Amino acid sequence: MKNFSYAILGVWLIAVLAGHVMHLDPNAIDLNVVLHGPSALHWLGADDLGRDLLARILSGVQVSFMVAMVVTAVTMVVGVFVGLLAGFYGGRVDQILMQITDIFLAFPGILLAIAFAAVLGPGLDNLIFALCLTGWVSYARLTRGQTMSLRNRQHVLAAQSLGATVPRLLLLHILPLIASLLVVEATYSLASVMIAEASLSFLGLGIQAPHASWGAMLRDAVRYMLVAPHYVLIVGACMMSLILAINLCGDYLRDSLDVRTEKQI
Amino acid sequence: MILLYRLTRFISVIFGVLLLTFLLIHLVPGDPIEVMLGESASTVDRAELRRDLGLDKPLIYQFGHYLNQLAHGDLGRSIHTKESITSLIAARYPATVKLAFVSLLIALIVGVPLGVYAALRANRWQDFIVTIISVRFAAMPVFWLGPVLMLFFAVWLGWLPVSGMDNHGAIVLPAITLGLGLSAILTRMTRTSLLEVLNDDYIRTARAKGLSARTVVLRHALRAAILPIITIVGLQMGSLLAGTVITETIFSWDGIGRLLVESIEKRDYPVTQACVLVVALSYVIVNLATDILYQLADPRMRSY
Repeated sequence: MKNFSYAILGVWLIAVLAGHVMHLDPNAIDLNVVLHGPSALHWLGADDLGRDLLARILSGVQVSFMVAMVVTAVTMVVGVFVGLLAGFYGGRVDQILMQITDIFLAFPGILLAIAFAAVLGPGLDNLIFALCLTGWVSYARLTRGQTMSLRNRQHVLAAQSLGATVPRLLLLHILPLIASLLVVEATYSLASVMIAEASLSFLGLGIQAPHASWGAMLRDAVRYMLVAPHYVLIVGACMMSLILAINLCGDYLRDSLDVRTEKQI
Repeated sequence: MILLYRLTRFISVIFGVLLLTFLLIHLVPGDPIEVMLGESASTVDRAELRRDLGLDKPLIYQFGHYLNQLAHGDLGRSIHTKESITSLIAARYPATVKLAFVSLLIALIVGVPLGVYAALRANRWQDFIVTIISVRFAAMPVFWLGPVLMLFFAVWLGWLPVSGMDNHGAIVLPAITLGLGLSAILTRMTRTSLLEVLNDDYIRTARAKGLSARTVVLRHALRAAILPIITIVGLQMGSLLAGTVITETIFSWDGIGRLLVESIEKRDYPVTQACVLVVALSYVIVNLATDILYQLADPRMRSY
């Protein structure tokens, strides 16, 4: 399974690079092939404006991956910061910070991101902002729990009694011990952010035309499902393969780093 | 004691949810009135809407007013149709509850038996296949699964209606779309939790007593293994509720999720706000109910 997931990721990487080398234009319109199925000229067929699906999928995956990277990085930094503070200081600080995360957790799934994206208006910046605003909570929870259990470890107390400052304690004595956990969490979150981005784009809240995005493509594909079923099947299959591969990588990382967390569900 | 603690937390979370949804409308960049009505709106209309929404008052007053209105079951008025949002939601909410309930049922009917099966065949090929399938379904976003199911069962095979909610068959596809993801999670969870229990001493005792394998698994093991499953169901109700937003849009199911999407498209922010609030509150209440159910299901929890 491990090699399988690496292979999928490898294929995607090569495809994206090849797309750049071949100068595939995701916005080139060819009205002769509107909604045509796969052919020699357009390997995966064309969309409702006669644009090459392969080119659009490759351009979409880059945007999607970029969004996933940015959101994961930002949410991880913010979440870890909050979690470290709450877990280290405990007491009042912890209470207040956890109260805030509780409120964010009260909104199911991507509902809050949908709400934020809706009021902020569509667009890539707002999409990233909305996903960041709601995504840090899981990191905060995870880091807090771990920090609390590490806080009174001997090596931390020793460093503290030798006069180490709080930032030093957190960054050099606690953070490295939870890093592997965070890496695993980040891998899963890459996949879930990609799904969230696609969901928002599907609802018309994400990346705007003419830029390609998988969510928006799926929305168009559903609209033309009766005349061009290949459209929805291809875009969906691409998305599935990538998300599955990333999740499998996460499983592999979790097993190999021997991260014992609460059961990943 | 625990219940009391849960209850105080519940109330503070509800307050936070109210505050956050209240603030939503203030996040609109620029002038929300202009965004909602468009630039061509007359000054009179603008002033009226501003007064209607109370946006000309101080923030704290607005929040107080908002809470007061909510306490009276008043969610405000739609900007476009001027209808009462409370009645809009009351009309749509039952459809969403129905959809969520049927999905949950499908998830339980498919997920738990599959999980039991996988656990009993642990590390054999049957287990392997079930695991692969459940990993796949867990990775399948509803906005792909939905259209694919629609394509196969409604368009190509013609067994079920494509969309809408006019006849009884109409709920099948959206409910499967929503339920399959959850059933995959339940399968994996049931498998793990049953496997843990199956190695316990009391199971060996039950076997040694000569009870049938069926009784041991269903009566002894599954009863203990069901606890984590209750928690998972409660937690996953969230993604189920969030999933209704997209599923309802795909299948033209007239629930609250679709109302939310429509309101976003029309920039009818008071409706958006109300939908978000109602879904979040439902989720919080489901979670509280799960906690209580958990206590009832596990006698050990009651002594605290």
